[in-house]
Amino acid sequence: MSLQGGFEVDSEARMHEPPEIRLGGDVARAFAHYPPERAAHEIATHLRKFWEPRMRAAVVARVAQGDSRVDPLLAEAVRRYLAGDIDSGEIAEPSGG
Amino acid sequence: MTTTTPRSGGPAPGLAPEPDYGTPAVRGEATAGVTVDGRHVQVPPGTSVMRAAREAGIEIPKLCATDRLAAFGSCRLCVVEVDGAKGVPASCTTPCVDGMVVRTDTEQVRQVRHGVMELYLSDHPADCAGCARGSCEMQDLARRTGVAQVRYGLVDTPTATHVDGGAARDVSNPYFDYDPQACIVCSRCVRACADIQGTFALTVQGRGFDARIAPGPTDFLGSECVSCGACVQACPTDALVEKSVVQLGMPTRAVDTTCAYCGVGCSFRAEVQGSGPETRVVRMMPSKAGGANEGHSCVKGRFAYGYANHPDRQMHPMVRDSIDQEWRVVSWEEAVTRVADGFRAVQAEHGVGSIGGISSSRCTNEEVYVVQKMVRAAFGNNNIDTCARVCHSPTGYGLSQTFGTSAGTQDFASVDETDVMLLIGANPTDAHPVFGSRMKRRLRQGAQIIIADPRRIDLVRTPHVEAAHHLPLLPGSNVAFINAMAHTIVSEGLHDEQFLRERCEDVEDYLQFIVREENSPETTAEATGIPPEQLRAAARLFAAAPNGSIYYGLGVTEHSQGSTMVMGLANLAMVTGNIGRPGVGVNPLRGQNNVQGSCDMGSFPHELPGYRHVGLDDVRDIYESLWHVTISPQPGLRIPNMFDAAIGGTFKGVFVHGEDIAQSDPNLHHVRQALTSMDLVVVQDLFLNETAKYAHVFLPGSSFLEKDGTFTNAERRLNRVRPVMPSLVGKDEWQIVCDIATAMGYPMHYESAAQIMDEIAATTPTFAGVSFARLDEEGSMQWPVNDKAPHGTPTMHVDGFVRGKGRLVPTVYVPTTETTNRRYPLVLTTGRILTQYNVGAQTRRTANSTWHPEDVLEMHPADAQMRGISTGDRVELSSRVGVTTLTALVSDRMQPGVVYTTFHHPVSGTNVITTENSDWATNCPEYKVTAVQVAVANAGRADLAARAGTDTVDPVAGVADAEVARR
Ligand code: SF4
Ligand code: SF4
Ligand code: FES
Repeated sequence: MSLQGGFEVDSEARMHEPPEIRLGGDVARAFAHYPPERAAHEIATHLRKFWEPRMRAAVVARVAQGDSRVDPLLAEAVRRYLAGDIDSGEIAEPSGG
Repeated sequence: MTTTTPRSGGPAPGLAPEPDYGTPAVRGEATAGVTVDGRHVQVPPGTSVMRAAREAGIEIPKLCATDRLAAFGSCRLCVVEVDGAKGVPASCTTPCVDGMVVRTDTEQVRQVRHGVMELYLSDHPADCAGCARGSCEMQDLARRTGVAQVRYGLVDTPTATHVDGGAARDVSNPYFDYDPQACIVCSRCVRACADIQGTFALTVQGRGFDARIAPGPTDFLGSECVSCGACVQACPTDALVEKSVVQLGMPTRAVDTTCAYCGVGCSFRAEVQGSGPETRVVRMMPSKAGGANEGHSCVKGRFAYGYANHPDRQMHPMVRDSIDQEWRVVSWEEAVTRVADGFRAVQAEHGVGSIGGISSSRCTNEEVYVVQKMVRAAFGNNNIDTCARVCHSPTGYGLSQTFGTSAGTQDFASVDETDVMLLIGANPTDAHPVFGSRMKRRLRQGAQIIIADPRRIDLVRTPHVEAAHHLPLLPGSNVAFINAMAHTIVSEGLHDEQFLRERCEDVEDYLQFIVREENSPETTAEATGIPPEQLRAAARLFAAAPNGSIYYGLGVTEHSQGSTMVMGLANLAMVTGNIGRPGVGVNPLRGQNNVQGSCDMGSFPHELPGYRHVGLDDVRDIYESLWHVTISPQPGLRIPNMFDAAIGGTFKGVFVHGEDIAQSDPNLHHVRQALTSMDLVVVQDLFLNETAKYAHVFLPGSSFLEKDGTFTNAERRLNRVRPVMPSLVGKDEWQIVCDIATAMGYPMHYESAAQIMDEIAATTPTFAGVSFARLDEEGSMQWPVNDKAPHGTPTMHVDGFVRGKGRLVPTVYVPTTETTNRRYPLVLTTGRILTQYNVGAQTRRTANSTWHPEDVLEMHPADAQMRGISTGDRVELSSRVGVTTLTALVSDRMQPGVVYTTFHHPVSGTNVITTENSDWATNCPEYKVTAVQVAVANAGRADLAARAGTDTVDPVAGVADAEVARR
């Protein structure tokens, strides 16, 4: 079987997840194949590049609350994001989509 | 039948048809010198004498020849004398050789022609309505060959004598008639159907004088005919004629413009009568000069333009205070003030970011540009998104990450040089018909095709075309599939090492990743359902092709891993060295006419025009100094985020430009909840669409026949859209947008659409060389158009990638979370049909509905039988989010476990059941995979209805907003 990303996902439960947890989980799964450091960095950069500030604020708040539905990798990325640990040069890359 | 004032044949003034050279152009150097009637001309060897003569300015009479078809040599009207040759050869089938001397008007030639023409006329009705009207060439030819005196001395007083009492007129097709009596059996239509369209619906039946063409054993409507119109266009007589020409008579004026339906972007000559708002379209004739279509068309562009004056069309601005009230017609001034004041009021109460706009891929580049400008400059935020979000946003992300820009790499003509095509998640013969015909032509010439699609689409087997491989992969397994293709190629050493070494980066990491066992055809077979040996064979075929090309559509993008899959396709092209020359490349087939353009024009919330991130200071500087505003460096909301924010209470107003989000977006229940949560919904459209049901202000739009601007097709080609009449609602759409911005306190003024394009060119390097004047000169141009490529760029990434080196990205397969279970054991996937377009707002309002009056649910016989369903039954289709009712079509085109439908009709509400699952990178909805159950209608409905609509959101209190937003 191929890599699953990391986390068992229950499609029923997902439907009732708030968007920032659901969408954040999707991003996390897409980068989960990288070593943890790199993965967290990629996720944080993605949020910085593509997420509107209120969505970022929402996911930050979920992490601050310790919401158990937040993907652990996503939580790590959010901590990194808050620490300002993102190379701003990366957004100079063409972004698309 | 109405006959109009008899005209003496020939075109109306100013309406000269495009010249017909009689036979197709021959490629090569013009090394053959030929003398025709004393005039000298140089042509490539092999050019027909007929074509050479035409190039020398001499038109040889012809019946069976036309330059879109290979010469046939059957009518012998085109005979000439050639020095040193015996007799009178047909000029259409005689190739030029250097030094040839040709005479087209000798006594002998005249005699033969006269005889031929007499014979044809003896079988042509003397009262031919087309001859009188000017839509039949026979009378004109009779005159030119000197037969007219004999037969047509009294042409204006038709007699009732018919040549034969034979077959009746076939009026079954809603757009054209076939009159066997006027047919001269030149077989141009038969050859057009075969060679140009590739459908092979027509044949010649009978012999001698009794011979006629026929659409098989049935009438036109019941036949295989796809109504592309190629036969009608090819017919030199009135035997095949547009109904509109019969009804309205010949056009008096023509305007060159572009089809507003699909991403092929066909050029048309709109032939019309009358002027100003009274203009009537007589017919749309595909232009041979059209870069995308080269004279071909499909049933949508050719015939389905009638929606533009359908009675449902809205002509006046309307307002209402709440959505349960009746609409009230108001003046433009009042509507604009209402919108501007309303948006400002929302912002005063809920903040700058509480409103936004959605631009349309159906609108022109100029309209899209001003909409994003209004949002960024007048609204003061980046909450601008486009409907491309729900179709090709993953193309943007995937191709940008790998190649450096968001666009297909080739022109359409590139397919003529390809050896093996990989087609995945696209159904060109239905969704991109004119390009589909081009593919079929190339396949008949001997190229091969690998088709990866859950459904057996027409291209798998169609007359004279058979796919080398049809890989019926399971919906949702695209990435596993593409990895297995690359795995096979790399692990068997079939990859292009030199290309990878010289042109690409991150190569080692990727190669290590792809050869891992998890990506092998054997391991992925469980996910894809494809037998490993078949996949390996397909991979070897693709790798061995001198030119391998990839064509894909929404079956690639509309998945939870849509962006990953686009990168996977780019990887495959790089691994096999198939980038940077004609015949290869990665080619997204765009859905709507201006998907490419609307993306190019900066209507993504994180990008300014030309795919430049809003976070880049130097890019913002360009616009800030020109627009005199400060632009937010933060990305705005995407369409699905807007819905979420609306339900969460922070997004309260939206301007929806020419889009029907309440029909086209997934999980409609959620969309409707979002729309009803807003204080001000403004919709601009031709019709009161589904979204308008939730709107407070309705602004009437203009049809493409009323627009001045440009569309950019799937091959990056900018085509001009020219108005055949002024806007029937009194204001151009770009003007309305400028008025709203101005009323909001941000003055926006342009003299014309051309001036908007000038601003685009001045601010976006890839469009630097574009202007309406340059486009009018060139016909069309493919971006980038700049100093380095003043005529545009047919093939991209020739010497280097836009981003420098091509980047290989490890594409790990992550299965979708939308999984089947006992309750929802089937997978629903969605698609399109030839005669309908998108949500059907236009095509449903034309005779195209003759062919597709409703959306049907296709399912495999095994699945149907198990549920006691047969074709024609009403069935209930339910998913985790909703339920709808459709008519079943049992079909072995489907594989067991997969069902299929289209979303052209609002009553079927297909998107009631699609979920909000989306591409991880772009939020493009996962339309292509929904776990469903199907049952005979009325079984267990209550339970499902109760389950639908449990869409709950518990918004989190935004902590540290300001803090977060600064980053
Ligand atoms: S229908 Fe027209 S094109 Fe076809 S064979 Fe008859 S005359 Fe020729
Ligand atoms: S192929 Fe597309 S662009 Fe061409 S006529 Fe048909 S709908 Fe229009
Ligand atoms: S036109 Fe040449 S043979 Fe008919």
